[in-house]
Amino acid sequence: MNLLNSILYDTIYHSAPIILCVIGGIFAYKANVLNIALEGMMLIGAFVSTLTAFFTHSVLLGVLLAILASTLFGLIFSFFGVTCKGNVIITGLAINLLATAIAGFVLIQMKTSNITLSYLNIADLQINIPFIRDIPFLGKILSGHPIITYISFLGILVMWLLMYRTKFGIYVRVVGENEDAAKSLGLKTDFYKYIAILIGAVCCGLAGANLSTERLGLFTNGMTAGRGFIAIAAIYCGGGSPTKSAVYAILFGLARSLAVNLSIYAGPAAGLFDIIPYVMMVCVLAVVSIIKHKNNKVRGFQYE
Amino acid sequence: MKIKSTFVHLANSVLPVLLAFLIGGIIIAMLGENPLDTYGILLSKSLLTSKGFLTTLHYASPLILTGLAIAITFKANIFNMGVEGQMLLGAFFSGIIGAYLPAGMNSVLAKIVCLTVGVLCGAISAMLPAVLKAYFKVNEMVVTLMLNYAIIKILEFLSTGVFRDITAGYVCTPTIQKNAMFSRLGSSRITAFFFIAVAAFAVMYFVMNKSKLGYETTAIGKNPEFAEATGMKVHKKILMLMAISGALSGLAGAGYMMSEKFKFTLDFSGNPGLGWDGMLIALLGAHSPVGILIAAVFYAALKTGADNINLYSMVPKEIVAVIQGLIILFLSIKFLSENSVTGPKIRSLFAKLTNRKAGRENK
Repeated sequence: MNLLNSILYDTIYHSAPIILCVIGGIFAYKANVLNIALEGMMLIGAFVSTLTAFFTHSVLLGVLLAILASTLFGLIFSFFGVTCKGNVIITGLAINLLATAIAGFVLIQMKTSNITLSYLNIADLQINIPFIRDIPFLGKILSGHPIITYISFLGILVMWLLMYRTKFGIYVRVVGENEDAAKSLGLKTDFYKYIAILIGAVCCGLAGANLSTERLGLFTNGMTAGRGFIAIAAIYCGGGSPTKSAVYAILFGLARSLAVNLSIYAGPAAGLFDIIPYVMMVCVLAVVSIIKHKNNKVRGFQYE
Repeated sequence: MKIKSTFVHLANSVLPVLLAFLIGGIIIAMLGENPLDTYGILLSKSLLTSKGFLTTLHYASPLILTGLAIAITFKANIFNMGVEGQMLLGAFFSGIIGAYLPAGMNSVLAKIVCLTVGVLCGAISAMLPAVLKAYFKVNEMVVTLMLNYAIIKILEFLSTGVFRDITAGYVCTPTIQKNAMFSRLGSSRITAFFFIAVAAFAVMYFVMNKSKLGYETTAIGKNPEFAEATGMKVHKKILMLMAISGALSGLAGAGYMMSEKFKFTLDFSGNPGLGWDGMLIALLGAHSPVGILIAAVFYAALKTGADNINLYSMVPKEIVAVIQGLIILFLSIKFLSENSVTGPKIRSLFAKLTNRKAGRENK
């Protein structure tokens, strides 16, 4: 029972940053911009939040500056990818490399290999929701998370509303589905692409702050460990629907939580459990693609 | 027309580099160092002295291979991001084989065995995303990226557990046997591996520019449906291209293992890693083999130079990673396109100037 409890708690805990990335990335996906810079934006968010919290002793300021930094990266990405019509994949890769390089450079300047917020007690950031925490079994799972974790789950609903129930959402989808048609209607397509990318950047900044400052009070370079790409895989699997993609994100959270919780029993093979999330993502992606193309009777090769 | 298009290509590769160096220079200046001095050290120690140049060539060898590995798939619009993982896998297993070979084995044979193992590991590991892509239309970019992380974790597990060299004070695999090592030529750091890399380059040059496969690669990259309609078997070509890419990555890893590292450590490929460096090189060289050769040497020069600026100045060598990121960022856009607006504008400006001059002379 105890094990099940911690597995479920960790599932929510590990899903949060990925859900944020997924719901952020979905807008860019719908606007037909492949935003693989999620990883870099998340890393820079994680880095800036911890750095700020380290110097100012204020977590709130850290989160705000993290969002600012990732938005700045989002602006760079959209400037190069949308305004200059560059190859977005290459731009995204560059953003990812730049984020690691900048973090590494600053860490070297500070003469440390990681930033630890020693003054911070992580337990203080966890919020216990009254009433819910008193529910016998669920209370311990649903309550006691840091605030951004709650925001991420609420975000799924917000994003769904934004995409399917507002004019803005419709415009973004039109831009993605048929840019020429959108232009002919007088929509400023570049503007909607910018906004779509920037929404992603803000979410990634939050995800980064959640990952480093809020959960661990610690930053090490490369700590995002491919979560941005996992988010992209989740978006692909979910076909760009916020709810479906979020389910895949939670599935990854489950895999990660299983890996963490079961590795205690694995003894020397514990290291191998780390590959579960990545391998599972490949399997899920493969199965989803196979099902999607099962009834495709088009002769020959079709691209994507 | 040909000259103009090569000029545009050249400008598109050189301008981003200059711009990145400019921004890097500003950062160095903000640290209170002289950027020109730093860049002077960076380039003079790695390109202008004969020893430095040979070191540069030595470091360029695996980069040429990973650059080619990226280029051949990117040219067909397949994004094999798994070069890093394939390279590590090749390196690891060639290192393991190299360590457990009988010590008295013929040294040429030992090297061939190690390299073959590396090549096979790379090629086989590239098969999984290739099959998924070709037959099930699974996005190859996400798959290869995920597999990179999986491979790194597996190798971490193997090198801290089963294959760990217990006598060493840190995590590494046993050192490979003497007969599997490439020995240095003279006092320089260059080894026979450089010539293997150049040979692979020559083969790839032929394949990409002169062979049927090279032509088909370009065709698939431009329009796979049309390529299929004209009778190319796109599925098989994807498998073949990925196999070549994986083999080149594996060769790069195996060669780097046998000429430089001699054992697998957790930071074997450095930061950001030979595979990622290969991506920058392929972009810098605009996916053409000769361009890649030049870019790899330039890039290796940055690498050797980075070690030197660490020694001779106060600037940390991590600045080079920042410059690399900036180079890729600027490479993603075309500064000049072959039918751009700026080209004719400049030309018309020149035309105006010359007209005015001519007009003045006429007066």
